[in-house]
Amino acid sequence: MQADALVLMTTGTLLVFMGIASISLSKNLVKTIMSFQIVLFGANLALFASGLGTDARLTSDTFVLLSVTIGAAVEAVGLAIVLGVHRKHGTLDPSKVRKLKG
Amino acid sequence: MATVGFALFSSKVSSSLISLFYSSVILSIIFTLYGDTMVGLVQMATFAGAVSVLMLTVILMTGEDRFALGARKLGLILLPPLLAFVGISFYLLSGGTGPSAESYADISNQVLVFLWVNRPWDLLILVMAFASAMVTISNLMSRET
Repeated sequence: MQADALVLMTTGTLLVFMGIASISLSKNLVKTIMSFQIVLFGANLALFASGLGTDARLTSDTFVLLSVTIGAAVEAVGLAIVLGVHRKHGTLDPSKVRKLKG
Repeated sequence: MATVGFALFSSKVSSSLISLFYSSVILSIIFTLYGDTMVGLVQMATFAGAVSVLMLTVILMTGEDRFALGARKLGLILLPPLLAFVGISFYLLSGGTGPSAESYADISNQVLVFLWVNRPWDLLILVMAFASAMVTISNLMSRET
Protein backbone atom coordinates (compact mmCIF):
# COMPACT_ATOMS: atom_id res chain seq x y z
CA MET A 1 0.00 0.00 0.00
CA GLN A 2 1.22 3.49 -0.81
CA ALA A 3 2.15 5.88 1.95
CA ASP A 4 -0.51 8.35 0.80
CA ALA A 5 -3.17 5.67 0.90
CA LEU A 6 -2.04 4.58 4.36
CA VAL A 7 -2.24 8.13 5.72
CA LEU A 8 -5.65 8.67 4.16
CA MET A 9 -6.89 5.33 5.46
CA THR A 10 -5.70 6.08 8.99
CA THR A 11 -7.30 9.52 8.92
CA GLY A 12 -10.57 8.06 7.68
CA THR A 13 -10.58 5.37 10.34
CA LEU A 14 -9.92 7.91 13.09
CA LEU A 15 -12.71 10.12 11.78
CA VAL A 16 -15.11 7.17 11.82
CA PHE A 17 -14.28 6.25 15.42
CA MET A 18 -14.45 9.86 16.60
CA GLY A 19 -17.81 10.31 14.91
CA ILE A 20 -19.20 7.15 16.47
CA ALA A 21 -17.99 8.29 19.90
CA SER A 22 -19.61 11.67 19.35
CA ILE A 23 -22.89 10.08 18.25
CA SER A 24 -23.04 7.99 21.39
CA LEU A 25 -22.25 10.95 23.68
CA SER A 26 -24.28 13.65 21.96
CA LYS A 27 -27.24 15.26 23.72
CA ASN A 28 -28.53 17.17 20.72
CA LEU A 29 -30.15 15.64 17.66
CA VAL A 30 -28.59 18.17 15.26
CA LYS A 31 -25.19 17.35 16.70
CA THR A 32 -25.96 13.68 16.17
CA ILE A 33 -26.61 14.33 12.49
CA MET A 34 -23.36 16.30 12.27
CA SER A 35 -21.51 13.41 13.89
CA PHE A 36 -23.06 11.06 11.36
CA GLN A 37 -21.73 13.34 8.63
CA ILE A 38 -18.23 13.06 10.10
CA VAL A 39 -18.57 9.26 10.15
CA LEU A 40 -19.58 9.46 6.51
CA PHE A 41 -16.56 11.63 5.69
CA GLY A 42 -14.25 9.11 7.32
CA ALA A 43 -15.88 6.18 5.54
CA ASN A 44 -15.65 7.94 2.19
CA LEU A 45 -12.01 8.82 2.79
CA ALA A 46 -11.12 5.23 3.73
CA LEU A 47 -13.05 3.87 0.77
CA PHE A 48 -11.30 6.30 -1.55
CA ALA A 49 -7.88 5.42 -0.08
CA SER A 50 -8.51 1.71 -0.53
CA GLY A 51 -8.45 2.15 -4.28
CA LEU A 52 -5.39 4.38 -4.53
CA GLY A 53 -2.54 2.79 -6.45
CA THR A 54 -4.47 -0.38 -7.25
CA ASP A 55 -6.37 -1.71 -10.23
CA ALA A 56 -9.65 -1.28 -8.37
CA ARG A 57 -9.49 2.52 -8.49
CA LEU A 58 -12.60 2.88 -10.61
CA THR A 59 -14.56 0.54 -8.34
CA SER A 60 -13.64 2.47 -5.21
CA ASP A 61 -14.49 5.78 -6.89
CA THR A 62 -17.88 4.42 -7.88
CA PHE A 63 -18.57 3.25 -4.35
CA VAL A 64 -17.52 6.65 -2.97
CA LEU A 65 -19.97 8.36 -5.33
CA LEU A 66 -22.71 5.94 -4.26
CA SER A 67 -21.87 6.50 -0.59
CA VAL A 68 -21.94 10.29 -0.97
CA THR A 69 -25.36 10.20 -2.62
CA ILE A 70 -26.92 7.77 -0.16
CA GLY A 71 -25.37 9.61 2.79
CA ALA A 72 -26.84 12.92 1.65
CA ALA A 73 -30.27 11.34 1.31
CA VAL A 74 -30.02 9.76 4.77
CA GLU A 75 -28.98 13.07 6.29
CA ALA A 76 -31.89 14.87 4.65
CA VAL A 77 -34.33 12.32 6.08
CA GLY A 78 -32.64 12.59 9.48
CA LEU A 79 -32.93 16.36 9.48
CA ALA A 80 -36.61 16.09 8.58
CA ILE A 81 -37.12 13.72 11.52
CA VAL A 82 -35.26 16.17 13.78
CA LEU A 83 -37.59 18.97 12.68
CA GLY A 84 -40.62 16.76 13.33
CA VAL A 85 -39.38 15.83 16.79
CA HIS A 86 -38.73 19.49 17.63
CA ARG A 87 -42.21 20.50 16.50
CA LYS A 88 -43.90 17.73 18.45
CA HIS A 89 -41.87 17.76 21.65
CA GLY A 90 -40.25 21.21 21.68
CA THR A 91 -36.80 19.83 22.47
CA LEU A 92 -33.81 18.37 20.68
CA ASP A 93 -32.59 16.35 23.65
CA PRO A 94 -33.21 12.68 22.84
CA SER A 95 -33.39 11.74 26.50
CA LYS A 96 -36.39 14.04 26.94
CA VAL A 97 -38.31 12.54 24.05
CA ARG A 98 -40.19 9.81 25.85
CA LYS A 99 -42.86 9.05 23.29
CA LEU A 100 -41.07 6.03 21.85
CA LYS A 101 -40.06 4.59 25.23
CA GLY A 102 -41.85 1.42 26.24
CA MET B 1 -6.48 28.28 7.72
CA ALA B 2 -10.08 29.42 7.54
CA THR B 3 -11.22 26.07 8.90
CA VAL B 4 -8.82 26.16 11.80
CA GLY B 5 -9.72 29.79 12.52
CA PHE B 6 -13.43 29.12 12.57
CA ALA B 7 -12.92 25.95 14.57
CA LEU B 8 -10.80 27.80 17.12
CA PHE B 9 -13.40 30.51 17.62
CA SER B 10 -16.39 28.20 17.64
CA SER B 11 -18.23 27.02 20.69
CA LYS B 12 -21.82 26.55 19.47
CA VAL B 13 -23.68 24.35 17.03
CA SER B 14 -23.69 27.02 14.35
CA SER B 15 -19.92 27.35 14.51
CA SER B 16 -19.57 23.57 14.40
CA LEU B 17 -21.61 23.68 11.22
CA ILE B 18 -19.20 26.22 9.73
CA SER B 19 -16.15 24.10 10.50
CA LEU B 20 -18.00 21.04 9.18
CA PHE B 21 -18.63 22.95 5.96
CA TYR B 22 -14.93 23.70 5.60
CA SER B 23 -14.09 20.07 6.39
CA SER B 24 -16.25 18.94 3.50
CA VAL B 25 -14.61 21.51 1.23
CA ILE B 26 -11.16 20.25 2.25
CA LEU B 27 -12.23 16.65 1.68
CA SER B 28 -13.37 17.50 -1.82
CA ILE B 29 -10.03 19.25 -2.41
CA ILE B 30 -8.25 16.05 -1.33
CA PHE B 31 -10.36 14.00 -3.75
CA THR B 32 -9.52 16.43 -6.55
CA LEU B 33 -5.82 16.48 -5.73
CA TYR B 34 -5.66 12.71 -6.03
CA GLY B 35 -7.10 12.85 -9.52
CA ASP B 36 -10.74 12.15 -8.81
CA THR B 37 -12.36 15.37 -9.95
CA MET B 38 -15.82 13.88 -10.31
CA VAL B 39 -16.02 12.64 -6.73
CA GLY B 40 -14.63 15.96 -5.51
CA LEU B 41 -17.26 17.90 -7.40
CA VAL B 42 -20.09 15.68 -6.16
CA GLN B 43 -18.76 15.91 -2.60
CA MET B 44 -18.58 19.70 -2.84
CA ALA B 45 -22.04 20.07 -4.39
CA THR B 46 -23.71 17.63 -2.03
CA PHE B 47 -22.19 18.21 1.38
CA ALA B 48 -20.74 21.72 1.16
CA GLY B 49 -23.80 22.86 -0.75
CA ALA B 50 -27.04 21.07 -0.15
CA VAL B 51 -26.53 19.38 3.21
CA SER B 52 -24.94 22.47 4.80
CA VAL B 53 -27.88 24.64 3.72
CA LEU B 54 -30.33 22.02 5.00
CA MET B 55 -28.55 21.86 8.32
CA LEU B 56 -28.40 25.64 8.59
CA THR B 57 -32.13 25.79 7.93
CA VAL B 58 -32.82 23.24 10.65
CA ILE B 59 -30.57 25.09 13.11
CA LEU B 60 -32.32 28.38 12.40
CA MET B 61 -35.80 26.80 12.64
CA THR B 62 -35.06 25.09 15.91
CA GLY B 63 -33.55 28.20 17.49
CA GLU B 64 -29.98 26.98 17.81
CA ASP B 65 -28.64 30.08 16.06
CA ARG B 66 -26.65 31.67 18.86
CA PHE B 67 -23.27 32.61 17.49
CA ALA B 68 -20.68 33.05 20.21
CA LEU B 69 -17.25 34.00 18.93
CA GLY B 70 -15.50 33.65 22.25
CA ALA B 71 -11.87 32.99 23.11
CA ARG B 72 -10.61 35.81 20.90
CA LYS B 73 -7.49 36.24 23.02
CA LEU B 74 -6.68 32.57 22.56
CA GLY B 75 -7.16 32.96 18.84
CA LEU B 76 -4.95 36.03 18.71
CA ILE B 77 -2.25 34.15 20.61
CA LEU B 78 -2.49 31.00 18.49
CA LEU B 79 -2.88 32.62 15.08
CA PRO B 80 0.70 33.96 14.53
CA PRO B 81 2.41 30.63 15.43
CA LEU B 82 -0.09 28.82 13.21
CA LEU B 83 0.67 31.15 10.30
CA ALA B 84 4.40 30.73 10.87
CA PHE B 85 4.02 26.93 11.04
CA VAL B 86 2.13 26.80 7.76
CA GLY B 87 4.62 29.09 6.03
CA ILE B 88 7.71 27.27 7.28
CA SER B 89 6.20 23.87 6.52
CA PHE B 90 5.34 24.95 3.00
CA TYR B 91 8.86 26.27 2.43
CA LEU B 92 10.53 23.15 3.85
CA LEU B 93 8.28 20.60 2.19
CA SER B 94 8.31 22.15 -1.25
CA GLY B 95 11.99 23.12 -1.09
CA GLY B 96 11.19 26.71 -1.93
CA THR B 97 10.35 25.84 -5.50
CA GLY B 98 7.41 27.29 -7.33
CA PRO B 99 5.16 25.81 -10.00
CA SER B 100 6.70 24.94 -13.34
CA ALA B 101 3.81 25.17 -15.74
CA GLU B 102 5.52 26.73 -18.72
CA SER B 103 5.01 23.69 -20.91
CA TYR B 104 1.26 23.75 -20.49
CA ALA B 105 -0.73 26.07 -22.64
CA ASP B 106 -4.22 26.22 -21.26
CA ILE B 107 -5.07 27.61 -17.87
CA SER B 108 -6.84 24.56 -16.43
CA ASN B 109 -3.74 22.43 -16.95
CA GLN B 110 -1.66 25.13 -15.30
CA VAL B 111 -3.91 25.01 -12.26
CA LEU B 112 -3.61 21.22 -12.12
CA VAL B 113 0.17 21.41 -12.49
CA PHE B 114 0.31 23.99 -9.69
CA LEU B 115 -1.68 21.67 -7.46
CA TRP B 116 0.48 18.69 -8.39
CA VAL B 117 3.77 20.51 -7.84
CA ASN B 118 2.60 21.69 -4.44
CA ARG B 119 1.56 18.22 -3.32
CA PRO B 120 3.30 18.64 0.06
CA TRP B 121 0.27 20.77 0.86
CA ASP B 122 -1.58 17.46 1.08
CA LEU B 123 -0.02 16.89 4.45
CA LEU B 124 -1.02 20.33 5.65
CA ILE B 125 -4.53 19.87 4.29
CA LEU B 126 -4.79 16.58 6.17
CA VAL B 127 -3.53 18.20 9.36
CA MET B 128 -6.01 21.04 9.00
CA ALA B 129 -8.88 18.66 8.20
CA PHE B 130 -8.02 16.51 11.18
CA ALA B 131 -7.67 19.52 13.49
CA SER B 132 -10.96 20.99 12.36
CA ALA B 133 -12.68 17.64 12.77
CA MET B 134 -11.22 17.29 16.26
CA VAL B 135 -12.39 20.74 17.33
CA THR B 136 -15.78 20.06 15.75
CA ILE B 137 -16.02 16.82 17.70
CA SER B 138 -15.07 18.58 20.90
CA ASN B 139 -17.77 21.14 20.20
CA LEU B 140 -20.26 18.41 19.50
CA MET B 141 -19.36 16.68 22.74
CA SER B 142 -19.75 19.85 24.77
CA ARG B 143 -23.08 20.11 26.52
CA GLU B 144 -23.52 23.87 26.39
CA THR B 145 -26.44 23.81 23.93
